[in-house]
Amino acid sequence: MQPLERLVNLVALLLDAHRVLTFDDIRERMPEAYEQEDLDTAKRMFERDKGILRDIGVPIEVMATDAWESEQGYAIAKDAYYLPEIAFTPQEISALFVAAHAGREGSSAEEAVRKLLYGAQGGILVGVSGFALATDGVPDARLTAAAEAVAAQRSVRFRYRTSRGVEGERRADAYGLAVRGGSWYLVGLDRDRGEIRSFRLSRVSSDLTDVGEGSVPPEDFRAADHVQVGPWGPGEPQERARVAFSPEVAWWATKGLQGAEVLKERADGWVEVAVPNGPGEGLASWVLSFGPDAVALEPEELRRDVIRRLEATLAVR
Amino acid sequence: MPSADRKKAPKASERLRRLLVVVPYLVQHPGTELTEVTRLFGVPEEALVEDLRLLFVSGLPPYGPGDLIDVDMQDGRVWVRMADYFGRPLHLTRSEAIALYVRGAALAAMSDVPEAPALDSALAKLADGLGPETLGELPQRIHAAGGGRSADTLEALRAATAGHEKIRIEYYAASSAATTVREIDPEEILYAIGNWYVVAWDHRSDEERLFRADRVRTVEPTGERFEPRGLAGVGRPLYTRGEADAQVRLLLSPDARWVAEYYETEEQLERPGGSLEVVMPAGRLEWAERLVLRLSGAAEVLGPPQLKDRVLELAGRTRELYG
Repeated sequence: MQPLERLVNLVALLLDAHRVLTFDDIRERMPEAYEQEDLDTAKRMFERDKGILRDIGVPIEVMATDAWESEQGYAIAKDAYYLPEIAFTPQEISALFVAAHAGREGSSAEEAVRKLLYGAQGGILVGVSGFALATDGVPDARLTAAAEAVAAQRSVRFRYRTSRGVEGERRADAYGLAVRGGSWYLVGLDRDRGEIRSFRLSRVSSDLTDVGEGSVPPEDFRAADHVQVGPWGPGEPQERARVAFSPEVAWWATKGLQGAEVLKERADGWVEVAVPNGPGEGLASWVLSFGPDAVALEPEELRRDVIRRLEATLAVR
Repeated sequence: MPSADRKKAPKASERLRRLLVVVPYLVQHPGTELTEVTRLFGVPEEALVEDLRLLFVSGLPPYGPGDLIDVDMQDGRVWVRMADYFGRPLHLTRSEAIALYVRGAALAAMSDVPEAPALDSALAKLADGLGPETLGELPQRIHAAGGGRSADTLEALRAATAGHEKIRIEYYAASSAATTVREIDPEEILYAIGNWYVVAWDHRSDEERLFRADRVRTVEPTGERFEPRGLAGVGRPLYTRGEADAQVRLLLSPDARWVAEYYETEEQLERPGGSLEVVMPAGRLEWAERLVLRLSGAAEVLGPPQLKDRVLELAGRTRELYG
């Protein structure tokens, strides 16, 4: 008998059984599967099968066959085995299908969505295909490990290289996950610094090691608040700046930039735009990335930053 | 089974895992086409047929004709009966549920994706249905920080890609810092490092090119269809080096190291003081000039020599705008 056939029969038997079955019961009902004359050999084979089933997530439990606990038997708890019924609409199931297939082939997310398909109306996924959704080189396993730490409020240790290239060991209580522009960030309480920090997962250079229970995030915690969201820096922008763009780049520079507002189009075709501004020089750097196709108009401080940077470049001459 | 075959064939545990997922679908969807099963579950048809043939001799004791699972394959379709205990699939494992939730949340975070609203409600139902013992705190603790640029032409690009339709686009090319009109044959849509890209044949340059969707200003149909050339999609490098490319070599101070995370580099060398030397291929130097300009003192140009002069020239022109 092929191993697969034996395994299918074993799952079928235990799912169909209404009581706990001892190994003898199982052997009697599946004589071809565990036919070895020697009980120990047969039992070893059964134990191996049980291990395989557990590995793929079949919840086989060992329990007493009766209240006197005189004998041990095996059962599959039906509510732990079967996927709960979740009524997805056709749009929802195809959206999940798209999301799960938005990565490399053979991910756990794909496995998950396949299990959810059984209740879907046939044919609704015709023509539906995933996007190629590459995250920034973060292995699936690391992202999942971070998500698991967040789900269970664990504390994790890992090696981390800052954006400035300084590498060291960190320990953080996993509070949340934020995604920005295709990059994932683990946000948590940095245990050595005593404050909430965000860690870009692509800069984590080791596995995440679980080091015990974490702490509970503050009530108003939102992971996204701790991740830089735009050229103006982290968090909500505090003020607005005025920048003019040449006709060549204006449409692109302002499109889709959160909080940007077109103020007016000048007679020369240049477009004046209000953009969010924050502390730091993020915005000055961004304005300069357009070269002579953008001019910072307000505030004066932003203008000064841009001019100072230009002077510094020119001074190298 | 000869050992040579055993190497090729997937392990029994993998086949079982697959069966426990596929069979419930077949029980619920009698007469499904094999090709459809192959597509939905990512199983080669041969392997699927082999597994189903085995299922046919499996079932419940005493394994008489009335106890075995009934598998019927005809005209490329399949029926599975007498397997009510396999009518619902195995529960999601914790890591499967988390992986799906995380992927879903990532896609839902993109405002340009038409699936986003359905995805939001699907994730809510998933969290609700699986309960806190599976997803824990995750649904409350995962957020999109936005910041990505929206690409309102994405829908039109997706439709043209799916329909193999040649389109005319107005495109802002960062490499030359200019907006141009060109005709392209879009073959693949992909998302990487925060942006949507279209892999296409560009009729203007007569080359394969990658276009960032947010820089596509307009999409105009031409009514012409094209034969896909099999251009590489997911996993491809975002920049394909051309023969005429220059090598831009920069020394990035710690403040400018982020550049190496956002641009395709060919070489990265650690330098004293936390600096990083990078080599980036460039077909044109315009984008490199602007990159160096924004980095100001945080990056030093090591080559090519003309890049230094061009940065100075660009800085001079930009400085003039401030009087």
